[in-house]
Amino acid sequence: MINDLGKNILRFLVFLLIQVSILKHLDLGRFINPFLYVLFILMLPIRSNKALVMVLAFFTGLTVDMFYNTMGVNAAACVFMAYCRPLVLRTYAPKGEYDTSAKPTMQSLGLPWLLSYTGTLVFLHHFVLFFLEAFSLSSFFSTLGIIIMSSASTVGLIVLSQYIMQRRKT
Amino acid sequence: MYGIIAFFRKNYFAVLFVALEFLCFYFLFQGRSPKGEENYYHQAGFLNSANSVAGSFYKAYNGVTSYFNLKSVNDQLAEENARLHNNLSDLPDTSKHLKEPQTNPYGQQFNFITAQVIDNSTNQISNYLTLDIGRKQGVSEGMGVIAPGGLVGVVIGVSDHYSVVMSMLHKNFQLSAMLKKGGAFGTLTWKGDDFRYVLLSQIPKSETVKPGDTIVSSGYSTIYPKGLVIGYVEEVKPIPTQYFYTIKVRLSTNFKKLGYVYVVSDLMKKERTELQENAYKSNEGK
Repeated sequence: MINDLGKNILRFLVFLLIQVSILKHLDLGRFINPFLYVLFILMLPIRSNKALVMVLAFFTGLTVDMFYNTMGVNAAACVFMAYCRPLVLRTYAPKGEYDTSAKPTMQSLGLPWLLSYTGTLVFLHHFVLFFLEAFSLSSFFSTLGIIIMSSASTVGLIVLSQYIMQRRKT
Repeated sequence: MYGIIAFFRKNYFAVLFVALEFLCFYFLFQGRSPKGEENYYHQAGFLNSANSVAGSFYKAYNGVTSYFNLKSVNDQLAEENARLHNNLSDLPDTSKHLKEPQTNPYGQQFNFITAQVIDNSTNQISNYLTLDIGRKQGVSEGMGVIAPGGLVGVVIGVSDHYSVVMSMLHKNFQLSAMLKKGGAFGTLTWKGDDFRYVLLSQIPKSETVKPGDTIVSSGYSTIYPKGLVIGYVEEVKPIPTQYFYTIKVRLSTNFKKLGYVYVVSDLMKKERTELQENAYKSNEGK
């Protein structure tokens, strides 16, 4: 039996490995650029300390930056996402409160909840990420296009990964 | 005093957010600050893919995936060998040239070190490569990188065993290039859209430029040897209100299929920079 800490460390390593070995080299053109690794932060327990989540997000982003040579861009996006997470969780809370046993997964809270929760946060993350990377507003609409297409692909991969994890458990 | 503590206690989450974002932006701007005129952009210490963790990961990864590209890499190298043999037979007396020592001030100016590309991307706005050689093999920041077919980029970060290269496919990349026929100079940049093309601007309209003309590196950049093929003119766009052409250049390097590259070190760089600095100092003194 692996405890929660072990599970999260394993998840961090697996998502990081998928990100830098598969997704970085997928090369589906410049508009589709999925960043699945954010799922590690999204899947941290609902009731975990929000400051801790933010610090974890910072280091996760920094690790990905190291592999992508983006120097703080992913870290900034992850920290922003972690800052917004409590508010987004509150907004989409089912009938006011989450069960004590509720987990931020499709299995626990359903597909519609998962889509709105991950959709919002992934979009916010990608928004900061791609605009900081472009570092200008001169190509505003093409950057916005990249953000929308990449967010959609990331959310798609998240849903897919949830199905895989669900199947593994049953 | 109590007021301040109470404020931090109440808003610790927002304070932490601002502090961490501040740190991120610090890294971001540190990575963007140009270091000297020639050194392009350099990246701070351990926070790039030249560090031992990312470097050895990419090396292991490349150990597996490099086999898929083996055929095209072999083709590139064979083509290059043929081209070099052709050039060699053009030289009047090759045996004499080769015997001369490397320290000859009129002989060899550039030294080439082979490297393997262990990580590469072409679909970002800022693309980088990671090479499997570093400081211990003689690589330092500001050295040029070329491929069998053409130009690749410039080294911006080194560790003991790995180095990071800013690809030509990077929004901050700039290079002085010229038309092989006519010798007009211009600036090469990449617009972030297509990995096959770059733009050459500031070529005066008085020049005759035809599609298919060769673009080579100019001697103005001290990073690369003069006359290296960069690409071929694809399309010439005259700008109505200006005296210059903007030329779309098809790159001769296929960035998706990079296997082996050469790091170029300029053996006379030290001498030249010292000379320039001395001239600058003595000028200031007056």
